Amino acid sequence: MREELLDASKKLVEKALSEGYDEAAALLQQRRTVMVKLANSEPSVIQRWKDLVLNIYLVKNKKILVISLSPKTLSEVEKTIKELIDVADKLYESPFYAPLPEPGEPVKLDLVDKKLLEKIEDPSEIVERMIEAAHREKIDYVAGMVELSYNEKALATSKDASFYEDSTSIQAYLRAFAGEDGSGQWSIGSRRLNLEKIEEMALIAARYAVDSRNRESIEPGVYDIILSPMVAGNLLRLVGMMASAFMAFMGMSMFMNKKPGDKVGSEKLTLIDDAVNPELPGSTGFDDEGVATYSKPIIEKGVFKTMLHNSKTAAKMGVKSTGNAGWISPRPWNLVVEEGSYGLDELIGEVKKGILVTNNWYTRLQNYVEGVFSTITRDALFLIESGRIVKPIEKIRIADTLPRLLSNIDALGRERYDIWWWEVEIPTRTPYILVRQIHTSKHTV
Amino acid sequence: MSLEDLVLYAVDYARELGASYAEARYHKNTSFSIVSRNGTIMGAGQELKEGIGIRVLVDGALGFSATNQLDNENVREAVEKAYRLAKAHARLMKKPIEFDDSRVGRARYSVVEKKPFTSMSLDEKINVHRELWDIVSKAPSEAKVPVFFLNYIESIEEKIVANSDGAFIVSRIPRLTVFYNLVVMSPQQGSIQRFEQLGASGGLENLEEWSLYETLDNDVKVYEKILYEAKEPPKQEVDVIVGSEVVGLVVHESCGHPSEADRILGREAAQAGMSFIRPGMLGERIGNENATVIDDPTIPGSYGFYLYDDEGVSARPRYLYRNGIIYEHLHNRWTAKIYGTHSNAASRAMDYASEPIIRMANTYFKPGDYSFEELLEDVKLGVYIKSYMEWNIDDTRWSQRYVGLEAYLVENGELKGFVRNPVLEVTTKAFYSKVDAVGKELRFYAGTCGKGEPAQGVPVWFGGPDLRLRKIRLGVAPK
Repeated sequence: MREELLDASKKLVEKALSEGYDEAAALLQQRRTVMVKLANSEPSVIQRWKDLVLNIYLVKNKKILVISLSPKTLSEVEKTIKELIDVADKLYESPFYAPLPEPGEPVKLDLVDKKLLEKIEDPSEIVERMIEAAHREKIDYVAGMVELSYNEKALATSKDASFYEDSTSIQAYLRAFAGEDGSGQWSIGSRRLNLEKIEEMALIAARYAVDSRNRESIEPGVYDIILSPMVAGNLLRLVGMMASAFMAFMGMSMFMNKKPGDKVGSEKLTLIDDAVNPELPGSTGFDDEGVATYSKPIIEKGVFKTMLHNSKTAAKMGVKSTGNAGWISPRPWNLVVEEGSYGLDELIGEVKKGILVTNNWYTRLQNYVEGVFSTITRDALFLIESGRIVKPIEKIRIADTLPRLLSNIDALGRERYDIWWWEVEIPTRTPYILVRQIHTSKHTV
Repeated sequence: MSLEDLVLYAVDYARELGASYAEARYHKNTSFSIVSRNGTIMGAGQELKEGIGIRVLVDGALGFSATNQLDNENVREAVEKAYRLAKAHARLMKKPIEFDDSRVGRARYSVVEKKPFTSMSLDEKINVHRELWDIVSKAPSEAKVPVFFLNYIESIEEKIVANSDGAFIVSRIPRLTVFYNLVVMSPQQGSIQRFEQLGASGGLENLEEWSLYETLDNDVKVYEKILYEAKEPPKQEVDVIVGSEVVGLVVHESCGHPSEADRILGREAAQAGMSFIRPGMLGERIGNENATVIDDPTIPGSYGFYLYDDEGVSARPRYLYRNGIIYEHLHNRWTAKIYGTHSNAASRAMDYASEPIIRMANTYFKPGDYSFEELLEDVKLGVYIKSYMEWNIDDTRWSQRYVGLEAYLVENGELKGFVRNPVLEVTTKAFYSKVDAVGKELRFYAGTCGKGEPAQGVPVWFGGPDLRLRKIRLGVAPK
């Protein structure tokens, strides 16, 4: 579809300009995706999509319109573009307006795995292998999902950008259940199909399920907490999203009152937006404005290093785009945490009184600017005393602030995992992370 | 071929291939939005999602396929893919999927806007943003409002649902939605943040109903006072008046979600989790006589309004908890078959690219007969939690936490100043067992409920009256 998509994107930009818009960009995304959802160790539904989404960015006299369409025909899109010129006339000049940037030279990335591509037609073998691998442990059943996707995107802008990229991706996760109360969950996200890695994912989930049977309750309080990569991915995605300059402008960010150079965390923490890592499923060679992407630290050794920008937020703050557009809001592509030097046992060995949290969900904030949040743990959770795991425990909340969480990071594992699932929407490569003195809570009645 | 014919063609073709059940849904979501920050329009957006979603049952496996390329060839391909993928996975099925024989309907219905979206000019809509900012920014006396983000969305959802059991439902539902995010800040006192979603089916008449001009002016003044004056909540056990906004969220989270039969049967186990309600628990006690929670898709003007679900079953009110008893679950035709009952029409899809799954519509705690004053009058020491920001609930819907935003100390039956971030952290059974008085005024709040894989956000209302709970120990959110 390469030529067709490039052609169509160029035509839409030309059409917009001929209708009287000053600037335009068209981003066409075509996907072919299959997803098998699992419950009770069998498929609950097999879903398949083939669709084309047209995203169009239009500017008239510094007034901005953004359209997202999954239309029946291209002529329908042209009609919408024409109709919206009247709307554009009546809008006010956007305070975020900046001209579309000159296109960069996109980074050439090899993002297609032919093996994965073939399996989109019938992923049943992968599904079977996931279920079988988990059941090697003494579990009762698994639930989960595997999704394989082939994505194509073509971008044209009125600054003569005309770029195409295709990619494959796989997301897989399993939650295993054992006995009355044992459960464990793990995930993996990649551009490439690696069955051994998928089996490893299934086995981690299954082992945690078996090891977390017969839980006991503990009192909430202040604990050292080891965040598994699943948990670190969930919480750091908030930090990654908040690093978007747009989120700061919107009052949805703990970086709202911060600037690059400010200390925001422990010097042991380095968090990178790794846009061009060809293994991670968020990678891309160019952003939605045609700016070449690159890898950059958001936080480096505890110091806030880079706010993520598109050309608009960058112009507003007098800096350069960081290649993270989003036409309206910049966003991170992949998050990568720099590894430490600890094995998981060694991290546990560092803890006098603490908890190993392997999974969490439902993270919500009382206040984004101050980063006040709580999240509820799920699946395997272990009490650590005097450097060793003493027992599996019942659910408890982590209820603290993101600034304190980042500041209290004390040690990181050396092995990293590529996490991507429902609660970690930004693909994240991270190790286990030890955080000191974090508040927990649970129901009082 | 007309859209209606295309939908029928997809159903017929799937049956020809050998599907034991086939369903096709043409689904079109259009929306127009205007986004502003601090009264300045940042831009406008238009969204169109239009396509066909097809579901088939083949040898006990369920296949779903969607396309937005609405010609015969692509729809035919979509049907074939759904069929083939289901067939390829049928060998992995331990328990074949079957649907119950619920009666399905043939109907056309639409919600009519009392005031169409076109009854206000674009200029007037833009002016709403500017005027609201004017009110919000001038409301505080000392603090500042650094951010007031406002998103105004008009949307229309149109569907044609047909299935091989004879359902044929054509519907059109317009909705109005407003989101805002508000930060009130003082250099000495820090900040307070409020995020709210307002939504209803219908047209611009809702904008008048919400009286945003009056409520936002008052709210910002209150938030400023909270910033300067609020004290920590009492540490001892107190009575808690749970405001209707919080009650609405509580019933959504701890009654609606755990009553979804697909959750109970484990279909969402790896995503949003399962339920403390296990198969066989119908009829068990979860609260006292005061606790009745209803989910009703048919409330006129509601955000979660519909008359037929996406499996073609006619909608009706569902009594999820009745006088403290787990009374009825939310069913689709698959869960109904397993439970040996009939679907109560809870099956909804977000858009053409989404499979229909069990969803709430408008969930509420049944009102009682207490006035607000009567709820307060014999409280010696208590806290009234009117609104919230942070909340969460565990994956079986048992342990939940709500952090109050606007909250008051109650002393001897009277409101006495503000309480900062009180935390109500309770189990589901404790909450429904401790309700000792129920207000008479029913209010609804709008939300976008998330569920499924890929995640689907659908419009819902949740609500209730104010409630009084006895003897609760509150926590406080960390600073």
